[in-house]
Amino acid sequence: MAFDAEDDRSDEALLALYGRGDAGAARVLTLRLTPLAFRVAARMLGDKAEAEDVAQEAMLRLWRQAPNWQGGQARVTTWLYRVAVNLATDRLRKRRGLPLDEAPEPVETAPGAVGRMIEAERAAALDAALMALPERQREAVILRHLEGLSNPEIAEIMGVGVEAVESLTARGKRGLTAALAGRRAELGYDDD
Amino acid sequence: MTDRKHDDDGLEGFFSAARAYPPEPSEALLARVLADAEAARPAPVPVRGPGLLSRIGDLLGGWQGLGGLATATVAGLWIGYAELADPDQLTGGLVGASDVVDLLPQAELFALAMEMEE
Repeated sequence: MAFDAEDDRSDEALLALYGRGDAGAARVLTLRLTPLAFRVAARMLGDKAEAEDVAQEAMLRLWRQAPNWQGGQARVTTWLYRVAVNLATDRLRKRRGLPLDEAPEPVETAPGAVGRMIEAERAAALDAALMALPERQREAVILRHLEGLSNPEIAEIMGVGVEAVESLTARGKRGLTAALAGRRAELGYDDD
Repeated sequence: MTDRKHDDDGLEGFFSAARAYPPEPSEALLARVLADAEAARPAPVPVRGPGLLSRIGDLLGGWQGLGGLATATVAGLWIGYAELADPDQLTGGLVGASDVVDLLPQAELFALAMEMEE
């Protein structure tokens, strides 16, 4: 695209500018924040089309919130993670009634050219294992280990205490370890 | 290789691989999000230039000119209401008394007239 996300200004400063009608701020925020919303939604839903809808809706809510954004409230990214996670959770709940043959296409996390690389295969294996976890555990593991957020920030996003986040993350990792145990040799791990 | 001291469950290799290959949004999604942003963008706040009063003030010489103008206006009003009943109020009596200066004294005038007759 003709614009880039590199900008020294904070998300909060850019959102305030957008709230006053600055078109340039919208472009920078779009490139900076849409990947975040899409990434989380895609990993929670395991479906690219649904994740795009969630990301677009989350960003639309951000645009509408901009004129009323209060400087002292949560960081923009924390707010956006929470909205994206909640929208994805709503879709997961609706999906439970769907028959299996309407299950979504999995997200392709690796470009085709590097699809054979072991790193990409490991990433795909993890994504598949994540989808087998209970929703809340998956959410906590994604935010902690893939998005790199702190436990207090995850607690704010998920609306639970820090101890609950630690518990969900620990149980999620145990589930992942079990799910991936049979694939370690195939994915290049030598556990001996 | 993974660092076993910080990776007791052997998951860090999977996590780092997943971080290296994140799901990426398509160009089409970015375009849709940007179109939404444009549609929802509030009207730009106009940059406010100097107001009418400020511009008039500048024409009259800024605050210094306005100060002088205000003083003159008050003085004019005062003169009008006072109706100049006693002009000494204005001058403070400085020019109240008139002094006659005799530039051509009577004796010299007489002498001059005599000279002309001769």
